[in-house]
Amino acid sequence: MPATDVDFEREFEELVSDLRALPTAAPTGVRERVRALGEPPRPRTLYDLLLTLSSRRSLLVLAPVCALALVSAAVIHGVVNSGGDTGRTAATGQKGAAELQRDALDSHATATTPFGAVTGAPLAPSFPTPAAGRYQDYEASLTVRVKNIDALHDRTAEATRLARTYGGYVASVDESTTSGNGRSDLVLRIPVNRVEDAYFRLARLGTVTEQHLSIRDLDQVVQTQRRRIVQLKVQIARIGETVKSSSLPADVRLRLELQRDAAKQELARVTGSNKATLREASLSRITLTLTSQKAAVATRSGMSRIERAARDAGSFLAGAGAVVLFLLIVLSPLIVLTLAWIFGSRAYRRREERRLLSAA
Amino acid sequence: MKAVNAVTTSWPGLRVDRPTFSAVAESELEAVHRYLLFLTGNRTVAEDLTGETFEKAFRTWRRFDPRRGTPRAWLCGIARTTALDHFRSEERRRRREERYARDLPDAEETALGSGELEAALGRLSAAEREVVALRVLLELDGPTVARVLGISTTACSTRLSRALKRLEEMMRDARD
Repeated sequence: MPATDVDFEREFEELVSDLRALPTAAPTGVRERVRALGEPPRPRTLYDLLLTLSSRRSLLVLAPVCALALVSAAVIHGVVNSGGDTGRTAATGQKGAAELQRDALDSHATATTPFGAVTGAPLAPSFPTPAAGRYQDYEASLTVRVKNIDALHDRTAEATRLARTYGGYVASVDESTTSGNGRSDLVLRIPVNRVEDAYFRLARLGTVTEQHLSIRDLDQVVQTQRRRIVQLKVQIARIGETVKSSSLPADVRLRLELQRDAAKQELARVTGSNKATLREASLSRITLTLTSQKAAVATRSGMSRIERAARDAGSFLAGAGAVVLFLLIVLSPLIVLTLAWIFGSRAYRRREERRLLSAA
Repeated sequence: MKAVNAVTTSWPGLRVDRPTFSAVAESELEAVHRYLLFLTGNRTVAEDLTGETFEKAFRTWRRFDPRRGTPRAWLCGIARTTALDHFRSEERRRRREERYARDLPDAEETALGSGELEAALGRLSAAEREVVALRVLLELDGPTVARVLGISTTACSTRLSRALKRLEEMMRDARD
């Protein structure tokens, strides 16, 4: 029976006292050698202190730190991604009218704005008033949800009628139905001065789920074209006057006539372009999509910010988990080999120690 | 001059009162030497290994954590590794010498001593001698010794019991 802490001293009392009485004092030489070592330098840097941590303790510290960092990253990701979407959409929508138009006019450039960045949510229709006295190309797109296929047919017909009522026309209609759902794509050309009214009437055909407006200022283009037309007309008139003179040599006359023909051709082209631009500026293009398809069940804008943050954080964590799982699967052979090597080398070391001690 | 026997690390979260190396070396030198003397059964080797053990301990002193064990147990662990390295190198040396000088007699080694008990100790295996040294002479408790030796507490107790019984028998035979 193995001896415990107390009973081996009682059982082998005499032997133990003999063993403790053996002369085993360390000689002075060894003592001096150890004393000469002095005091090791104290750890000063964080690196020095990290060296004092064992691998097991480092793991105990690192594992919660990594988990905390991951959760923090997920929370930050969730909060950052959830924040301001609704506000931003609303702000864009409110900016729409006058401000957008002013920006477009000031820059003489194309201005494009989505009035509803997110599909599926009912939107309040808004439309900037066309600027009087300026040539502008209006393009609007509108997605309107209607109740069912019957309503879709009715609303398509109504949209066609509305276009005519406002002095415009239907450029194209494309209506299709599949498995209980239907969709109509219409391209309407409406005079710019009545586009605002038409737009609001079209928006009332159902629930607006998406709207988009593009305004391109054409004033500069029209002015440039007009200046060029005047220049060409003046050039043609001057050449005509010169050609009338009978004192011109034949070759000069021929060259002038060729120049006049070229100028006339260019005048015809620029005039055509000018007419097209004016036509473009007089008629707006409204792309209307009517659909009977139901909106997605849960839309982002329908959720509260906390819900969105939690969902984003959750998907971040799920993504991180997937990455960890992937790494585990990919690295599992390596992990198994490493563990086998650790346990194997430990067993080998133990056996080696036993052998050495029995041989010593 | 007032001797500083303990210092406290200044890093928050890692605050621990540690004794100074010199204080530990002063108080544990005898114990380590005694252990190595029993383990190797050779005074000269034990002296060399004692010095070597404290040099290693000096280099790795920053890794010593008083919360994980006593300085004595930590030093005995280092001493054991040092002794095993010594046995390993001795074995290699012997093998080399056997290959080139088979006929040469073994060099005479300094034993534990000349008495009956020393002779009996010399007949024990190194594994038995070291458990006797750690438990009886250094008075370390069972779990600590088991941890130093890398065996279970039960195995440690069995080994100690067997070693002491063998010693007692050898002493009885010698007296008879």
